[in-house]
Amino acid sequence: MKIFSESHKTVFVVDHCPYMAESCRQHVEFDMLVKNRTQGIIPLAPISKSLWTCSVESSMEYCRIMYDIFPFKKLVNFIVSDSGAHVLNSWTQEDQNLQELMAALAAVGPPNPRADPECCSILHGLVAAVEALCKITEYQHEARTVLMENAERVGNRGRIICITNAKSDSHVRMLEDCVQETIHEHNKLAANSDHLMQIQKCELVLIHTYPVGEDSLVSDRPKKELSPVLTSEVHSVRAGRHLATKLNVLVQQHFDLASTTITNIPMKEEQHANTSANYDVELLHHKEAHVDFLKSGDNHIGGNSREGAFKETVTLKWCTPRTNSVELHYCTGAYRISPVDVNSRPSSCLTNFLLNEPRYKMDGSLEIPLERAKDQLEKHTRYWPMIISQTTIFNMQAVVPLASVIVKEAMTDEDVLNCQKTIYNLVDMERKNDPLPISTVGTRGKGPKRDEQYRIMWNELETLVRAHISNSEKHQRVLECLVACRSKPPEEEERKKRGRKREEKEDKLEKSGKDYEPDKPWQESERLKSLLDREKEDLAEAEVIKDSPDSPEPPNKKPLIAMDEMPTVEKAKGPMSLLSLWSNRINTANSRKHQEFIGRLNSVNNKAELYQHLKEENGMETTDNGKAGRQ
Amino acid sequence: MPTVVVMDVSLSMTRPVSVEGSEEYQRKHLAVHGLTMLFEHMATNYKLEFTALVVFSSLWELMVPFTRDYNTLQEALSNMDDYDKTCLESALLGVCNIVQQEWGAAIPCQVVLVTDGCLGIGRGSLRHSLATHNQRSESSRFPLPFPFPSKLYVMCMANLEELQSTDSLDCLERLIDLNNGEGQIFTIDGPLCLKNVQSMFGKLIDVAYTPFHAVLKCGHLTSDVQVFPRPEPFVIDEEIDPIPKAINTDLEIVGFVDIADISSPPVLSRHLVLPIALNREGDEVGPGITDDTEDENSANQIAGKIPNFCVLLHGSLKVEGMVAVVQLGPEWYGMLYSQADSKKKSNLMMSLFEPGPEPLPWLGKMAQLGPISDAKENPYGEDDNKSPFPLQPKNKRSYAQNVTVWIKPSGLQTDVQKILRNARKLPEKTQTFYKELNRLRKAALAFGFLDLLKGVADMLERECTLLPDTAHPDAAFQLTHAAQQLKVASTGASEYAAYDHNIAPLQTDFSGSSTERL
Repeated sequence: MKIFSESHKTVFVVDHCPYMAESCRQHVEFDMLVKNRTQGIIPLAPISKSLWTCSVESSMEYCRIMYDIFPFKKLVNFIVSDSGAHVLNSWTQEDQNLQELMAALAAVGPPNPRADPECCSILHGLVAAVEALCKITEYQHEARTVLMENAERVGNRGRIICITNAKSDSHVRMLEDCVQETIHEHNKLAANSDHLMQIQKCELVLIHTYPVGEDSLVSDRPKKELSPVLTSEVHSVRAGRHLATKLNVLVQQHFDLASTTITNIPMKEEQHANTSANYDVELLHHKEAHVDFLKSGDNHIGGNSREGAFKETVTLKWCTPRTNSVELHYCTGAYRISPVDVNSRPSSCLTNFLLNEPRYKMDGSLEIPLERAKDQLEKHTRYWPMIISQTTIFNMQAVVPLASVIVKEAMTDEDVLNCQKTIYNLVDMERKNDPLPISTVGTRGKGPKRDEQYRIMWNELETLVRAHISNSEKHQRVLECLVACRSKPPEEEERKKRGRKREEKEDKLEKSGKDYEPDKPWQESERLKSLLDREKEDLAEAEVIKDSPDSPEPPNKKPLIAMDEMPTVEKAKGPMSLLSLWSNRINTANSRKHQEFIGRLNSVNNKAELYQHLKEENGMETTDNGKAGRQ
Repeated sequence: MPTVVVMDVSLSMTRPVSVEGSEEYQRKHLAVHGLTMLFEHMATNYKLEFTALVVFSSLWELMVPFTRDYNTLQEALSNMDDYDKTCLESALLGVCNIVQQEWGAAIPCQVVLVTDGCLGIGRGSLRHSLATHNQRSESSRFPLPFPFPSKLYVMCMANLEELQSTDSLDCLERLIDLNNGEGQIFTIDGPLCLKNVQSMFGKLIDVAYTPFHAVLKCGHLTSDVQVFPRPEPFVIDEEIDPIPKAINTDLEIVGFVDIADISSPPVLSRHLVLPIALNREGDEVGPGITDDTEDENSANQIAGKIPNFCVLLHGSLKVEGMVAVVQLGPEWYGMLYSQADSKKKSNLMMSLFEPGPEPLPWLGKMAQLGPISDAKENPYGEDDNKSPFPLQPKNKRSYAQNVTVWIKPSGLQTDVQKILRNARKLPEKTQTFYKELNRLRKAALAFGFLDLLKGVADMLERECTLLPDTAHPDAAFQLTHAAQQLKVASTGASEYAAYDHNIAPLQTDFSGSSTERL
């Protein structure tokens, strides 16, 4: 439940009453003597900030650090109080940045010292702060929506940081009582409202600030529980840098921050660009970043930071990174940082060094891009040979134009044209008998012959294209082109192909039929007609080739222990190898030199039945003769 | 994740167990039997993991330092002598030292404590340790919680009734509590016998040592893998309902990113991704069956000859210098990458990012990452010379936006001097002069620091009087104009003190050259 802790909502209430216009009585020299000045000029008198200026710049610094380290989910509502409450921003994430707050503060301007102090009070602001805490933030809203009926489990806690000039301890008590009462009242209101939330816990941080050199009329008081809902603490702080230091300490406490000082960073000197000196930069970040350091026992705690006695800082020595962007390093944590002294030269040198890479913005689209990425991976891997020797086409530069576009979800006409060109180019290569990068790994000799190579290549290409024909009608067109152009395989191959093709066509017809069926029953007759047409066509085809694919080849009755068949000249289809030509010749020559065996003469398909006489003697089936013999 | 087995060898472990049959067993023997089973399981499924063996009584001894050689561990089990009394605290302290020396404080480690539930007497007994727990100084801190991420499993060579008859169980439970609840106590169900010890160790194996098998997918390409060490469920404590999240057994690759773009991101844990030949029927490898290893080896040999997607992926990531982004669950991602072990050897590894839609702010929301081909123009440029990452945050951080902070006088002085320096170089520096002037004006208005505006106006007027004769005539005009504009703003009157208003350079007859630049 960390997200809705007290630090989810912080309300600043800054006093804007006339006395805040008083000087903090800490002087700032702003007219510093610069070199090469004409001598004898008296610098302008130093100026001093008002209590208001000190309060505002300290609270802005608090917000700056908080926004740097928690850009989301930690929200600030800024209120100034005089004769009424002025709420400068809202809880929405868009309102959470320094520019907005600065612009709003400029619009308010400094307090008017001539206003009637009787009408002005910090109380207006405190009441508005309680109201603000009851208002739901977008994160709380979101969490409640997700939890539905368990919505009440979303917490509503917050913190009020009030910077004012109080008159006395009893005045402070009066302010506390007021906050407590207001919470009580507003919780009653919120109980009956959908868009307000009851405050479960409120931390009031009252900061009494007064000009340097004056005695404080208010005493410090540590955190104390005023009611189960409200705790309160009082800080009495001199204005000027003391106030800024106090708020810096508070932001670290409130947001669990810790400090790290990077030491010995070499930087070019401003005045002498060719010399360099080492500087230290102190950074704030979430204290979790130090957990592993402290656990390892090797604590680099290097004493107190320069600013105040409060905090300890871990010192790390700068190490100029060797930029090798192709290396992944083991990293257990990354934390947002904020420089303590943001616009000091060493700080800005460091941050500029780290930020100097160019940055871009991405535009989002309506579809979830990651889903599109998954979809693309699916398409690209439909046909993906795992090893190089398993593929021919992906080893061929000539196939690239087709292979790179066929995996696309949608192709342009130009893409189709390129695919067709690729196919024509391959046809051309085949005509010219160009060699193909067929792997010969694992095969003996030179591997398959050229026309076989092309057959393998065309088959593979067809597999690739077929894997994508469902993408679009244009993909279909590429397949049609491929089928029409590819080299005609040997007859047998052709027959099989035809069979397959027909099956597919029917499949397709069926598919298209199915697509139409629900809404257009008349399509059915159309489909039947086309099926009949198809049948006729096939009949004609069957007449031509004699061997219709519908009647399957006779099953191979060859026994498993078949003896080597002698390839005969008539049987061999297609071109013959030198070896077979030679062995045929030798075999014919040899056969003339001896009398042919009776068995071979009587053989059917070069196979002779043995022990035929047994069959005659027993009058039994040959297959049973073993058993019969024993009987 | 490494394991330390911490074995109690105090005298009480030699108490005899009445087992049916003649042979006499001691509790120690039961423990050895259970550990043998655990080591055999690990030798089969956790080959790469390191295990150490510590024995303890009033002293402790590292019998076997961290090793992958389970035979050595097994042998050590049979070479244990019997010693005096149980003194758990010093043993646990020993474990702390051993683990930290070998692995540091960041590597999670499992500690298997084998004891009979007699927790010692007097000083050094667990009872004594717990009683004095609150009076410790930092130097004599109790070793729990372990300084490294850990699980403490207590294997009791005793049944529940026996432990409950004394306060042993309470003490052991407190031990687990002290380890922040990380761990579990196992006791023997029923009478003390080999079979029941086996089933107790079987439970430990189920809880802590089941291998994590998953299917790695990339479109149509898949591979069965073992993810090692097993990814543990993760709890996001930012959530309202912090329930542990476990990763999917289907690991789907959603895309690829350059290493330079993902740039060493923070990860929760790292794991080896090992392709495996899943023996579908043989999945249930029973305890103590060692003959299976031979079959498995041959299965692995066959698998080694079949092209595997893991090999393709690892090789490709290595060559391309990229990582694969993998989806581990709803709004949970990780990355797969090639990690060099040595100069010659590298492995496919998977790291888990913190769960959430945007684990790496510089990549933006993971769901918003898409294929390059979807972009109107290639975000990496035609010749791969740029990158869309890191993404610019919607609101720049303070250190990237030139904020004005005047808390220290030096901050204010630097800003004033910048104006002054540029004022002396007018009209060449007209643009920068007004830029700095407007920055100061804005901050002064926001902070209600109107005296500063007056002061700077006075200063500019003085500079005007100090201009040398050689100065460009435009300089005087610009200084006077700027001073006058600051003066009116310092009145706070709304028409001059608008925050968004910028003081523009004065258009003069001489300013032709400078206006060109504007």
